[in-house]
Amino acid sequence: MNEKDTKNLEFATIFGNASNSQSKGKDHIVQSSSFRLIFSFINLYALITIALFFLVKGNLVGGVNTNFLEQGGFLYVLNARAIILLLLLIFLNVSAYYNYGFKYACLVLIVYMLNSAIDNAVLYSGFMHLTDRPYLSAFAITRPLFIISLFWVMIIHKYKFKSD
Amino acid sequence: MYKGIELTISFWVAMSMSYAFCFSALYAYATLPDHLLDPNNTAQIKATLKLSTVRLVIVSLALIAYPIVLFKFFKYAKYVTVALTSWATTIYIDDYFVLVEIVEYPDSGLISLVQMSRPIIILSLIWMSFELIFRSQTEV
Repeated sequence: MNEKDTKNLEFATIFGNASNSQSKGKDHIVQSSSFRLIFSFINLYALITIALFFLVKGNLVGGVNTNFLEQGGFLYVLNARAIILLLLLIFLNVSAYYNYGFKYACLVLIVYMLNSAIDNAVLYSGFMHLTDRPYLSAFAITRPLFIISLFWVMIIHKYKFKSD
Repeated sequence: MYKGIELTISFWVAMSMSYAFCFSALYAYATLPDHLLDPNNTAQIKATLKLSTVRLVIVSLALIAYPIVLFKFFKYAKYVTVALTSWATTIYIDDYFVLVEIVEYPDSGLISLVQMSRPIIILSLIWMSFELIFRSQTEV
């Protein structure tokens, strides 16, 4: 091995160990880039859904017939669900930040989303049509994508260093 | 081959209570009085019965699957228990805070008793989840 290669190896070893010890010192675990990407998507999706609901509710989006919200107490149900989703999203982010109980937080959110989908399908399938609420329907149709994403981050999340 | 699972007595008591509750709920809805199945019922009762049927199917599947997971796939039992706990809590919150204007449980003796004992089943499931989670953490 020549001198240049030896120096490179030394630097790589020093920097490698330094970055590892630094992250361990801060008790900070670096998640994979796919985790960060999917987690950002989950946050964005949930926040846009909640924001859109409040915009539609407040008649701030043009061209949307909001009469359907008055049928069968749908407004109250959506309102409560939006607030619960926001609380669960906060819980998910806090658990991700502290790296504690993240998989369980994901599981709770998955169960909540599945249950609300079943409830909506059972209670509102009779008189609600997808064309009545085009903006919100887009989110109802893409809900499986959200659930799959949650399931995915739950699987790829790391609690510990691989070396530990 | 099956190896004995070392869980506390309180876990088995909580599990027995959960099973007893689920069987009572199944029995209560399977033996509904005729007047509650009347087509002239209020929309709320109809919606509740429809929703309860879907939920009881899920409960039946869980009753069958849970012992299999507990004895054969113990590693995943904590996740299944947490999922069931969160589902029980979610439907409780849904019924009393979200769908309060839509669902109305029929006024029958056993159904009222089942509704009243729902917090107990949730507490039992929470205990089971805690025990399974912290047991696995202390074992590592």
